[in-house]
Amino acid sequence: MRDAPLPVALAVFAGLGLVPFVLGDYWTGQLARYVLFGLFAMSLALVWGRAGILCFGQAMFFGIGGYAMATVTLGTFAAVPFTAALPALVLAVAVAAAAALLVALFLFWGAGIGGAYLAAVTLALAAILEQAVRGWYGLGADNGLSGVPPLPLGDNPWDPRPIYFVVLAVAAAVYFGLLALLESRFGTLLTALRTNPERLAHLGYSVVALRVAVFTLGGAIAGLAGALFVATDAFASPSLIGFALSAEVLIWVALGGRSVLLAAFLAAILIRVAEAYLSETLGPWWLLTLGTLFMVSVAAVPNGVLATPLLWLQGRLRRTS
Amino acid sequence: MALLQLTDVRRWFGGVRAVDGVDLRLERGELRALIGPNGCGKSTLFNLISGTLRPTAGHILFNDRDITGLPPHRIARLGLRRKFQVAAVFDDLSVDDNLRVAARTKRAAVSTDALLGRLGLSGRRSVLAGVLSHGERQWLEIGMVLAAAPRLLLLDEPTAGMTVRETDATVDLIRAIASSGDVAVLVIEHDVGFLERLDCAVTVMAKGRILRSGSLANVRADEQVRSLYFGTAA
Amino acid sequence: MGAFLTWAPLLLDALSFVLVLALVALGLVVIFGLMGVINLAHGELFMLGAYTVVLAVGWGVPFWLAVVLAPIAVGAVGWLVEVLLIRRLAARPLDTILATWGLAIVLQQAAVLAFGPGSRSVARPTDATVTFAGISYPAYRLELMAIAALVLVATMALFARTRVGLRARAAIADPDMAAALGVNVRRVRAQSFVLGAALAGLAGALVAPIISVDPHMGFGFLVPAFLSILAGGGVSLGGVLGGAAIIGGADSLLGHWMSPVVSQIVVFLIAIVAIRLRAARAAGS
Repeated sequence: MRDAPLPVALAVFAGLGLVPFVLGDYWTGQLARYVLFGLFAMSLALVWGRAGILCFGQAMFFGIGGYAMATVTLGTFAAVPFTAALPALVLAVAVAAAAALLVALFLFWGAGIGGAYLAAVTLALAAILEQAVRGWYGLGADNGLSGVPPLPLGDNPWDPRPIYFVVLAVAAAVYFGLLALLESRFGTLLTALRTNPERLAHLGYSVVALRVAVFTLGGAIAGLAGALFVATDAFASPSLIGFALSAEVLIWVALGGRSVLLAAFLAAILIRVAEAYLSETLGPWWLLTLGTLFMVSVAAVPNGVLATPLLWLQGRLRRTS
Repeated sequence: MALLQLTDVRRWFGGVRAVDGVDLRLERGELRALIGPNGCGKSTLFNLISGTLRPTAGHILFNDRDITGLPPHRIARLGLRRKFQVAAVFDDLSVDDNLRVAARTKRAAVSTDALLGRLGLSGRRSVLAGVLSHGERQWLEIGMVLAAAPRLLLLDEPTAGMTVRETDATVDLIRAIASSGDVAVLVIEHDVGFLERLDCAVTVMAKGRILRSGSLANVRADEQVRSLYFGTAA
Repeated sequence: MGAFLTWAPLLLDALSFVLVLALVALGLVVIFGLMGVINLAHGELFMLGAYTVVLAVGWGVPFWLAVVLAPIAVGAVGWLVEVLLIRRLAARPLDTILATWGLAIVLQQAAVLAFGPGSRSVARPTDATVTFAGISYPAYRLELMAIAALVLVATMALFARTRVGLRARAAIADPDMAAALGVNVRRVRAQSFVLGAALAGLAGALVAPIISVDPHMGFGFLVPAFLSILAGGGVSLGGVLGGAAIIGGADSLLGHWMSPVVSQIVVFLIAIVAIRLRAARAAGS
C-alpha cells in the first residue's frame, strides 16, 4: 500500500513553503492553522485509512494536546514546574499519547470492539470529554483558555511567517516519517491488520498490540497538532476537543482519501481555505454543499476525491519505472 | 506424548451443544481427515483448537502445553497454524509480502523462493493477492500456514471450489507436507474422492461428538457412518 | 403520599421520554438490524416528522391528521434516500455511517434554508389534564405514551408473527439463500428503510407539541437512540426497549440530582460500559 507519489508530496510541501512570499500575513497566519488541521487529518488517515479503525472521536487527542499546551504555558496547574514552550509541547504530546493509549486499551483489550460499536463508543467518549471540559472551571469552562503564549520564535510575535515555517516543517517531518514507517515491516503489518485481522492473529501476531500501537501513535500526532494549534491561535476552546471537530476531520479525510496521508492532509487544508472564502458568501449553502459533496463522494468515489488520482498516478509511475 | 490431545472438549451456544465431549489424539507427523455432515461441529472444533473460541469445558494440550483458552496469536506462536475455509489472504499485500508476514521472523524458517516454487506461484510473487484466482488464493494460504515451519496444520476444506486438476495438485501438496514427518495435518473435507486419494486415517464427527475413527475403508463399512454420512454415495 | 406526588410526574415524564426514545431507536434498529446500515441521518428524519406537523397544522390540517401524514411523508423521503444512496452502499456497510452523516448535514442545512434557523412550535391538540390519585398530568402526554407503546408493540408483532417479518428475518440471516428461495432481498431492504424512516417521522410528529422544533433537534435524539440500540445489543427489537429504558430513564431522572453536565456524562459512561461488555460477551470469550 503506497501513499502519494514522492514527487507530488515534495511539490506540495515546497509549494506550501512559497505561500508566505505570495500571500499576505493574514493568510499566512490562517494557513498555519490549516496546515495543523492537515496534520491532524493525517493522524486519522493513519488510524482509519491504514489500520481500519474508524474513530469518531479523534478530536479528543487534538483537544487534549491543545489544553495540555495551554495549561502548561499559562501556568494553570502549580504542579507543573515549568512554563517554557518546548517542554510544554513534549508534555502535551505525551499526555495525548497516554490518553490514546488508555482509550485504545479500553477499546481493543480482549476480543475488542470494532465497526459501528467502536464508532459509537469513540463518539460518546468525545462527547463526555467535551462536556467535562465545558463544566471544568479550572479550564475556563465554556470560555476556554485565552492568551496562550505564542511559540518563542523571533522578536516580533505579530509576524506569522516563523510559526508558519515551523508548523510546515513539523507537518513535513511527520509526513515523511510516517511514510518511512509505513514502508517498513510495521506498515506491511498495518495493511495486513486492516485487510484481515483474524488471519493475522492466527499467524501469531497480537492484533491488540498492533491496534494499540497505531492508535497511540495517531493520538500522539493529533496531540502534537492540537498543541501547536493552540499556541498558534493563542486560544484553547472546548470546540477543539469534542464531537463536532471529530466529525469534521472525518469528513476531510473521507473526502480527500482515507488511505493516502497526503490526500487527507491536502483535503483538510483545501476545505478550510474554501470554507474561509465561501462560508461568508454562501452562508448556510456552504455546509449544504460540503455535506452533499461528502455524501456523493462516499457513494461514488470511496477512495477519496484526491487519493483516487494520486493512486492512479502512483500506479502509472511505478509501471513506467 | 501426542502432539495434540483433546480431553472431553465441549462448547455450547446457549442450549445448542455444538461440540459435546470430544476426545481426540493426533501424533507428531500424522495426517488425519475429519469428516461429518454439515453442522456436526467440525468447524467449531477447529475454532476451539486454534483459539477463536474458548471451550465451555475440557482441556486441549498441544506439544505438552495446556493451550485451553489461550488467544489465537499465542497458540499460533507455539507452531499451530490454521487455514480458513474461505481462503483468508491479505488482498492488499503482494504474494511475497503475504508469505513474509506469515513467516513472522526476518530470517524465514522456510525459504520463500522454495515455497513459491512448491506452490506454483513463482511467477506471481509481486502480484497483489487480491487479484489471484480462487485456486491460487487457496495455495497462497497453504503457503502462509507453512511459512513459519509449523508443527500442526489445521486445514478447513482446502479444496473447496477447486477444479479437478487443482484438487489433485492440492492432494499431492498435502501428502508431501505430511510425508516429511515434521508436520502433522488435520484436514476437514467433504469430498469422498479427495479422501480416497489422500489415503489417511479418518475421524467421523456427528452431533458434536466423535462417532468413529479408523481407515477410510473401515469407516465406510461402518453401518452407523453409512447411514449418517455417506448415505447414497457409498 | 407527599413523595408519591412529587415522584409520579417525574416518573411519567421519564417514561414518556423513554417511549419516544424507544420509537426513534426502534426505527434505527430496524435499519441497523435488517440492513446493517448505521443511519446517522435518523435524527434528521425525526426532525422532518416534527416539521411536517408544524407546517401541516399551519396550513389548517387538523393535528391528528398531520400526525398520520408525517410518517407517510418521512417514509417517502426514506424511500428516496434508500434508492439514491443506501442501495449503492450495500456492500460497504461501514461507509453508510459516513454517507448518512453527510445526509444528516444536508437535511439539517436544507431545513435551515427552508424553515429558518429559529425554533417553531405547534399547539397541543388539548390542554386538558387528567387527575388520578391526586396527581394532575397533561392528557396529551398520556396519549403520546399510549400511541408510542402501541406502535412499538405493533412493530414487534409485525416482525415476530407475520410473513413480512419472516421474509425480513430470512433476508438478514442469509441474503443469498433468501434470494434463492424467492425473497426479493432488494425490496425487503427498501421496505425496512422506509419503515425505519416512518417510525422516526412518527416520533418527531408526536413530540412536536412538547419540544421546540428546530433544524438541529435531531442530534439530541440520535445520540441517545444510537447508544440505546448498541447498549441493547444492536439487533433485537426487545433489546431496544431495554437500552432505551436505561439510557432514557437515566438521562431524564439523573437530571434531578445532578447538573445536566454530570448527568449527561454519567449516562454516556453507562452506555459505553454496556456496549463494551456486550461486545466482549458477543465475541464468546
